[in-house]
Amino acid sequence: MSEQQQPSGSALGIPGSALPGPYPVGEYAAALQRRLRAFTRVQLIGEIVNLRVARARAYFELRDAGGAVPCAAWLRDWEQMLARVGALADGMQVVVEGGCDYYAGSASSSPAFSFSVSDLRIAGEGDLLARIERLRKALDAEGLLERQKRLPLPALPRTIAVVCSQSGKARDDVLAGLARRGWAGRIVWAYAPVQDRYAAPAITRALQDLAASGEVEVAIVARGGGSLADLLCFCDETLCRTVALLAIPVIASVGHHTDRTLLDDVAAVSCSTPTHAAEAAVPIDCGQARAALANQTERLRANAGRAVLSRARLLASLCRAPAEQLARQRSSLHQQLRETRAAARRRVAMERELTWRRLAAVAGKADGAVHDARAKRPAELARLALALDAHDPQRTLQRGYALVQTSTGEAVGTAAAARRARELLLRFADSSVEAQVRETDE
Amino acid sequence: MSEEQKLSYEDAAARVESIIRRLDSGEASLRETLELVKEGKTLIERCAGELEAVSGELEELKLDDLVARLEAQAR
Repeated sequence: MSEQQQPSGSALGIPGSALPGPYPVGEYAAALQRRLRAFTRVQLIGEIVNLRVARARAYFELRDAGGAVPCAAWLRDWEQMLARVGALADGMQVVVEGGCDYYAGSASSSPAFSFSVSDLRIAGEGDLLARIERLRKALDAEGLLERQKRLPLPALPRTIAVVCSQSGKARDDVLAGLARRGWAGRIVWAYAPVQDRYAAPAITRALQDLAASGEVEVAIVARGGGSLADLLCFCDETLCRTVALLAIPVIASVGHHTDRTLLDDVAAVSCSTPTHAAEAAVPIDCGQARAALANQTERLRANAGRAVLSRARLLASLCRAPAEQLARQRSSLHQQLRETRAAARRRVAMERELTWRRLAAVAGKADGAVHDARAKRPAELARLALALDAHDPQRTLQRGYALVQTSTGEAVGTAAAARRARELLLRFADSSVEAQVRETDE
Repeated sequence: MSEEQKLSYEDAAARVESIIRRLDSGEASLRETLELVKEGKTLIERCAGELEAVSGELEELKLDDLVARLEAQAR
């Protein structure tokens, strides 16, 4: 349709507009399609991104640093290409041949521009995954995969930052995770795109500002799931170096289950979901922590009370001890005294008993002796009497002798004594006679 | 900042637990008991304060607002 052609139909144009038309859009779309299909067919080189195989066609984007083109291939052609080159996947550098195409759409279907691919070959070096792997190794060699992991994660942060898109589920999931921990501190929301070419610089800037504020203790970078292509921004070298050197710990939750992004590797913690990231940001359960503190307070109080009470009791018992000891000693001494006295009494009684027995024994013996003596006495007396009688001077006198005595009664036994005595008494058995000595001592 | 205040929340909580274990053992003298109880009470108050700070209403603000506020304070 040229600019000189008159529009069919009778719709009026925009007042004041110098442009031709209005043309029915379907006609314009058909013309566009014709125009685009007339473009020269070419070969293009770029990376496969967002590969998706549908029922009738295979769709992907071909990207490089300068731009991208949406591509499509009929399934039959696609399967032939696959058979020739082996696997085709996101990140592969390929050369495609084809031309522009435009699906004009309809009242019930969307139009779409695409580069219609009829053939393809793999371009060799430039595999996206390989590039990411090389960068990972480089960062590792510089020690940048470990720096964040050495940062202490606060058990109870007061301010948590969250880098995520303003729409999307990640925001709500983080809030749910924090609520599960019973945490209600301060959240700083740093909204940023999370999947296009603007994402990496925006996230980098946000993290730098958050760390520089000095008020944020931990940052979460959260995104819901997606293909690796969607998450390429989290493999951006500048972003990853910034995170590695950041002063505050970063918890990554970019939701990619099968491939790790570089952000997962450099971050302090890598989580599978934003909810887990929130729980990693607040490791303790605040409700349980409060209960534990109450329990500890009670135990502390009980220990303090026990310590004083037990010592007071001990002191009291020690105070009582000397008096009790004295009382025990006194009681013991009294007992000993009683026992001693009793023993002494028993001993005295025993001695007395013994003494009486002895006395009795002696008396018995004496009685015996006396008895014996009494029995023997008459005979003894008789013997003695007989013996005595034998010596009785009277007996001598009776035998005819005379006892010569002085007048004073002294016995005279010699003639000389008789002459001296002159006066003598002669005792005969029957009586006495006085005598005078005629002779003198001359 | 006293020794107790320099400790992180988790270190303070761990120290309280360690104090209580020591007291439960019954091996501490009276003087040590009283000192440990005093230290424990201070640490518990510290932890309770930290918990209190994150127990009220959730406060939400955007990074732009935070930056603007900090710049205003700096001026």
